[in-house]
Amino acid sequence: MTPQELVVRALPPFGGWLALSALALPDGSVLRGAAMVAFLAAGPGAAMLRICGPALAMVPAAGPVERRDPAFERHSDQLERLMLTVFVSVALVLLAGTVFIATHAFSAQRVLLTLTLLTTAAAFCPRLRASPPRTAKGTAT
Amino acid sequence: MSDLSDLPPGRPWWHAASHPAPALLVALALWGWAMTHTDVSDLDDFGLVTALHPTFWAGLALLTVGFWATLRGPRRHPAWAPAYVVGLLVMERATQAVLYPTPLYAWAWKHDAVVDHLLTAGRLENADAIGDMAVYDQWPGFFAAQAALVRLLGVDSAAQFMAWWPLVCGLMLLLPLLLLYRTFTEDRRLIWTGVWIFCVANWVGQDYFSPQSVAFALHLGVLAVVLRRYGRPGQSAVRQRQAVWTVLLTVLVVAVVISHQLTPGMLIVSLAALFLTRRYRDKVPLVTTVVIFLAWCLTAALPFLSAALPDMIRSIGDIGGNVSTGYGATPTGTGAVTTSWVARLLSASVLLLAVVGVLRQPVLRHRAMPLLLIAAAPLPMLGASSYGSEMIFRVLMFMLPGAAFFAAAALLPQVRTLTAMERTSRTEPRLYGWLPLLALLAGTLAFVPSYSGKDRISYFPPAEVDLVRQVVDQAPDASLVVAADRNYPLAFADYWRVDHYWFLDDDREHVDAIVHDPAATLARDMSAVESPGRAYLLFSRGQFADSEMNGLLTKGQLDRIRQSVDASPLFERVAGNDAGVAYVLKETGR
Repeated sequence: MTPQELVVRALPPFGGWLALSALALPDGSVLRGAAMVAFLAAGPGAAMLRICGPALAMVPAAGPVERRDPAFERHSDQLERLMLTVFVSVALVLLAGTVFIATHAFSAQRVLLTLTLLTTAAAFCPRLRASPPRTAKGTAT
Repeated sequence: MSDLSDLPPGRPWWHAASHPAPALLVALALWGWAMTHTDVSDLDDFGLVTALHPTFWAGLALLTVGFWATLRGPRRHPAWAPAYVVGLLVMERATQAVLYPTPLYAWAWKHDAVVDHLLTAGRLENADAIGDMAVYDQWPGFFAAQAALVRLLGVDSAAQFMAWWPLVCGLMLLLPLLLLYRTFTEDRRLIWTGVWIFCVANWVGQDYFSPQSVAFALHLGVLAVVLRRYGRPGQSAVRQRQAVWTVLLTVLVVAVVISHQLTPGMLIVSLAALFLTRRYRDKVPLVTTVVIFLAWCLTAALPFLSAALPDMIRSIGDIGGNVSTGYGATPTGTGAVTTSWVARLLSASVLLLAVVGVLRQPVLRHRAMPLLLIAAAPLPMLGASSYGSEMIFRVLMFMLPGAAFFAAAALLPQVRTLTAMERTSRTEPRLYGWLPLLALLAGTLAFVPSYSGKDRISYFPPAEVDLVRQVVDQAPDASLVVAADRNYPLAFADYWRVDHYWFLDDDREHVDAIVHDPAATLARDMSAVESPGRAYLLFSRGQFADSEMNGLLTKGQLDRIRQSVDASPLFERVAGNDAGVAYVLKETGR
């Protein structure tokens, strides 16, 4: 594992535990707010995408007909990852909040702890690799 | 020692001014100056338009010119266009947050009350406990997340951060919007002009603190993923790999479905429209969305839907009724009429430009056909429901991502096929320098009256918030708060223990009875409140502004009602300041 991979793997759970410890800061403090917002807006999504990344990349993305800029496709993929990081995080926050409120077990700390544990568990998971496409006889190409 | 001839040729002094940085920085500086020199304490019928310091307009114009110049400069770094768009979002969506000391929009305050309810109750409740407001507990996603956020930030309520929601929402929307456009073109001028047009034409104002703001962004995110990853004919191997994408898609769709009623419907019609094309004939996204939507509707949302179903069925096909904005939404007065027409003109211009773009760009029309379908897909919803007289605005908003792309195409030189480009090397006509710039300038400046022209209705000064807070705080459980209409802050505060009645919502005959004999009629209406509850009557400047500017009662009529109550022995004044006054119905008045 390269240092970069280690950072990508460890940063989301670190953000979650940091947000949990930020609960000790005074109500309404800027540092506390920054830690919460940063984790809730990106942490869970980043952890999920790290696991799914290779499998997701197996499906080729549709792009423009003109192919003048060789970096265009790569930049679009990066933009897509950024969007999914944020949107999956937001979606998971909505889901976690709803599950707790619907089961009469709502507390903000529980929502944050659940997302942090989920993110931490995701950091220990291996990356999901899609099986290679099969030929008619079932052998790998 | 080098020869002087080795040095690059000298550049004229004005070269530095043509760099993107000075225009952006000066525009933002002008905006900053305007923010410190604008007084919002006495808004007139034009809202923020006439209150803004002139430097705001200069900054906005400079920003637009700078943006256009940046796009046309072929050697400009690609980061400048996004920098300008972020600058635009700041000037468009952060201005109100900076200028007003309290959050805008009665509906945003209502959503704050829903968050407050979840925090107080700690669970979802049905109509038996909270009446009509139970509808929010049946789509709780956004509110549950905000309830968690309020506690995690350690603030008293969402009112402390919701003024900034439009900016957050605008930034969020940029991501899927860019991805959508980048799926069909590499031309950064087209992409960023489309984004710019979307930002300035999106005046409908659904970006306030609301479930639809988040659901709309997620909706665009789902469409972007489908267009990029489900656009190939479904071979079994590809389908196998798409399973992971479908899991991600499911997470996003579930978040949309649990948060908002209308957005899943819009998503389904958009996915269905795509499914009709050969390129996107993959049923997985459509079926997934329909199944999740139905599952939610038939379980958690069933109480609301079963009650609302007869009305929903009646409104199907009634396009005239569905697009009418209804009683109490007729702009009245020079300011309201003018700003409404500017908004309509802005939307009509963008749609017209989009039609022009579709007609004069056959290559793009073919390549970006899915975007055209996405733009047209929401139209049938006009025949499906009135959505509380708001359907026409919602349809407009959902059409906008596709429409803005083709509107941008109308402002730019014709897109040609690769072969045609190799055969001819046409230079860009001069027309494409000035006309599009003027169109962008007009649209950008028109955004302000469209979005902020009714701020006299939407803004509630701190005194008005204090007044309502005083009433709610002193109201015992099971009390009733009566007001002219619901356009005031905290109108839904504590709705689980305090009931509300807005007499302008009643039928016209009863409103006329109140105008004819105010104190006695209102006292009769309020007399059914049982002890220990009390019945309060509240008049505040937000109600007056809304009633006057939307063609309900005139200021004279409302003043007469207030004076009648003030002079009546049935009522006692309990609070008041320069933003309004509150009375309580005396025990002897029952």
